[in-house]
Amino acid sequence: MHLWWTVAIMNLAGTFQVPAQASPKSGRTFSPCADSSGKPKFTKCRSPELETFSCHWTDGVRRGFKSPGSTQLFYIRRSTQEWTQEWKECPDYVSAGENSCYFNSSYTSIWIPYCIKLTSNGGTVDQKCFSVEEIVQPDPPIGLNWTLLNISLTGIHADIQVRWEPPPNADVQKGWIVLEYELQYKEVNESQWKTMDPVLSTSVPVYSLRLDKEYEVRVRSRQRNSEKYGEFSEVLYVTLPQMSPFACEEDFQFPWFLITIFGIFGLTMILFLFIFSKQQRIKMLILPPVPVPKIKGIDPDLLKEGKLEEVNTILAIHDNYKPEFYNDDSWVEFIELDIDDPDEKTEGSDTDRLLSNDHEKSLNILGAKDDDSGRTSCYEPDILETDFNASDVCDGTSEVAQPQRLKGEVDLLCLDQKNQNNSPSTDATPTTQQPSVILAKENKPRPLLTSGTESTHQAAHTQLSNPSSLANIDFYAQVSDITPAGSVVLSPGQKNKAGISPCDMHPEAVSLCQANFIMDNAYFCEADAKKCIAVAPHVEAESRVEPNFNQEDIYITTESLTTTAGQSGTAERAPGSEMPVPDYTSIHIVQSPQGLVLNATALPLPDKEFLSSCGYVSTDQLNKIMP
Amino acid sequence: MDNKGWSLKAGSLLFLLLLLSDLLLCKSVASLPICPSGAVNCQVSLRDLFDRAVILSHYIHNLSSEMFNEFDKRYAQGRGFITKAINSCHTSSLPTPEDKEQAQQIHHEDLLNVILRVLRSWNDPLYHLVTEVRGLHEAPDAILSRAIEIEEQNRRLLEGMEKIVHQVHPGVRENEVYSVWSGLPSLQMADEDSRLFAFYNLLHCLRRDSHKIDSYLKLLKCRIVYDSNC
Repeated sequence: MHLWWTVAIMNLAGTFQVPAQASPKSGRTFSPCADSSGKPKFTKCRSPELETFSCHWTDGVRRGFKSPGSTQLFYIRRSTQEWTQEWKECPDYVSAGENSCYFNSSYTSIWIPYCIKLTSNGGTVDQKCFSVEEIVQPDPPIGLNWTLLNISLTGIHADIQVRWEPPPNADVQKGWIVLEYELQYKEVNESQWKTMDPVLSTSVPVYSLRLDKEYEVRVRSRQRNSEKYGEFSEVLYVTLPQMSPFACEEDFQFPWFLITIFGIFGLTMILFLFIFSKQQRIKMLILPPVPVPKIKGIDPDLLKEGKLEEVNTILAIHDNYKPEFYNDDSWVEFIELDIDDPDEKTEGSDTDRLLSNDHEKSLNILGAKDDDSGRTSCYEPDILETDFNASDVCDGTSEVAQPQRLKGEVDLLCLDQKNQNNSPSTDATPTTQQPSVILAKENKPRPLLTSGTESTHQAAHTQLSNPSSLANIDFYAQVSDITPAGSVVLSPGQKNKAGISPCDMHPEAVSLCQANFIMDNAYFCEADAKKCIAVAPHVEAESRVEPNFNQEDIYITTESLTTTAGQSGTAERAPGSEMPVPDYTSIHIVQSPQGLVLNATALPLPDKEFLSSCGYVSTDQLNKIMP
Repeated sequence: MDNKGWSLKAGSLLFLLLLLSDLLLCKSVASLPICPSGAVNCQVSLRDLFDRAVILSHYIHNLSSEMFNEFDKRYAQGRGFITKAINSCHTSSLPTPEDKEQAQQIHHEDLLNVILRVLRSWNDPLYHLVTEVRGLHEAPDAILSRAIEIEEQNRRLLEGMEKIVHQVHPGVRENEVYSVWSGLPSLQMADEDSRLFAFYNLLHCLRRDSHKIDSYLKLLKCRIVYDSNC
């Protein structure tokens, strides 16, 4: 039994004509291999309601050739307990149409495997195995109808409800089979059907149909867990009532205009909110603040008003301006241009004027004679340039005379200072202030205190260019520092520039110390000064500069911080060798805050170690160190 | 700042909206009455029990169909399993109505028992199926996840059916009859082909039996609850 069954199964694969053994029941002889192209084949087997099923096959392409043996279908099914190995023939070849086999409910068992085979002249041509619950394809629903649900207010669209009945042979009432339905509709002249989602109920609403159009509707069903749908029902024609003449002719158009207006309005509101909330920031973005000239810590209005005394005071307080003194080279150039003729310089040097008893001249000079005004130095800063002729450089009497003469008129560094030293009073201070103001005005707009420095510097450089000329010694002193109090610390150069006028210097002491000084260094450190102190302790300077000098002194040299010995020393030097130690050297490089690198003038280069503690190194020195 | 306040407001409003929508959605979902666990006197109506049972059986059948199709697509192509899968399922020994007439003629109590038997018969195979599917070569997640789900739902359906039986036939307690499954060794065979065929067979049987149970339950529901007028 099982053997036959196995044989039947083996015949299933392929389309060849296998010389299979005929079923025992069949008495037909074995037929030769038929043409493979035209043999019958099963097309489908179908059960519409899970109670019956039918199978259909094709007849094969056999034109004008009638096979002697008709096609036969045999089936076999496995009953619950045992195999029915015998192939049974189809019980009904008619009910389902041509080339079909119909199995009614008595032959149908659900959940039981069936195998069917198609034979032609005894030879199996096709075989198939299945279970009935796998081949369920319900019939189409019947009784489609529709009802109007409502019409839209515009009178253009309408909703309808479509109803139908389940296929009659499907026993849904007893729940034997559960169906779901799918509806499709379209306009009459359209080609594409619109599909709706499957529903379990037998009625479904269709929305938004146009009143002036005709529609077609059809429904199909399938078993709920299956994938295959049954056939479509008949088409239902839906003719909606005509539009009323009072209905709107125009179709509903999207209100683009309104939306645009509202959109713009909304955006504007948001923009305004944004702007008002961030007013300050937007203002900054659109109109950035223009930087106005500003001096740190100084109210610009103060400058405008011209209260220069106040500004001076303020500036004096700030230490910040000190570096600025050394940064500006323009006045250097300015001065250099000025010096064309040493003779001329000699003639018109301020020193000469000052030294001479020519009051007017000196006054004029100091006032505004020279074009490069602003040279308000009083000291003879350039011992270099002079021959250290006491008479020239530091004519004690003359020098003394000069300051006295010029006391209240011109802002001479040393003179005023001397005066101040002599009579420490605040009287001089304003006097001092004033000339510097004048100078400042003539110069570039800079911190006022620096103007004094400028002038001194300018003068110094003029002197530098003519180192050999004694006459070129002007009363210029290099301002080396500015104290917080506002006093100017002058570099003594060869001479003391302390609050004592050069006239007070004692030439003897000067020369003594001079040799010890670093010649090519216009700036003397305290250390150097101290050396001088040791050399020439005797100081007969009239105005003794105490270590704690008068705070009101505007000009204080470095030496004044220590002693006045050096001063005298420098004076002595005058008759000695002509050592052109420039008090003023142009600044080569500013290495703030470490110091300055100065240009070397025509100086003898003493082979001395330069004083590193000074902080000031001339270029030559630098070159010596660094090859 | 204004912006911060505004954004905070907007966020809270959005949150409120979400909350509301969630509540509405939750409400719209048909909530079947549920007995709180531990309640003794809770009585869910037979209608609801059957509704739930039908939903579960339908769901199980869907899953097993999909699982079978996945397996067929993945492993059984070209192997000719379908021809061989006419083997008996282990539940074939149980007497079950094979067509509508038989199902209508059988008494609903008996039918309920049949359902129970079939469900019980599948407890063991489903459990082993889950563990053995993991051992399949490159088992797709679709098969594994469905196997796990089916096993769980089957247990729940069994519980539901026992409740129904208790309501329909209170007091009757039949001895638990079910057919034993002995296909585990075949699932663990070393030979790949044989093993795959065993799986194929099992899944085929599962699909068939789930459909059987689904049909029986729908029939019973219409008969008992709706008085044969679904």
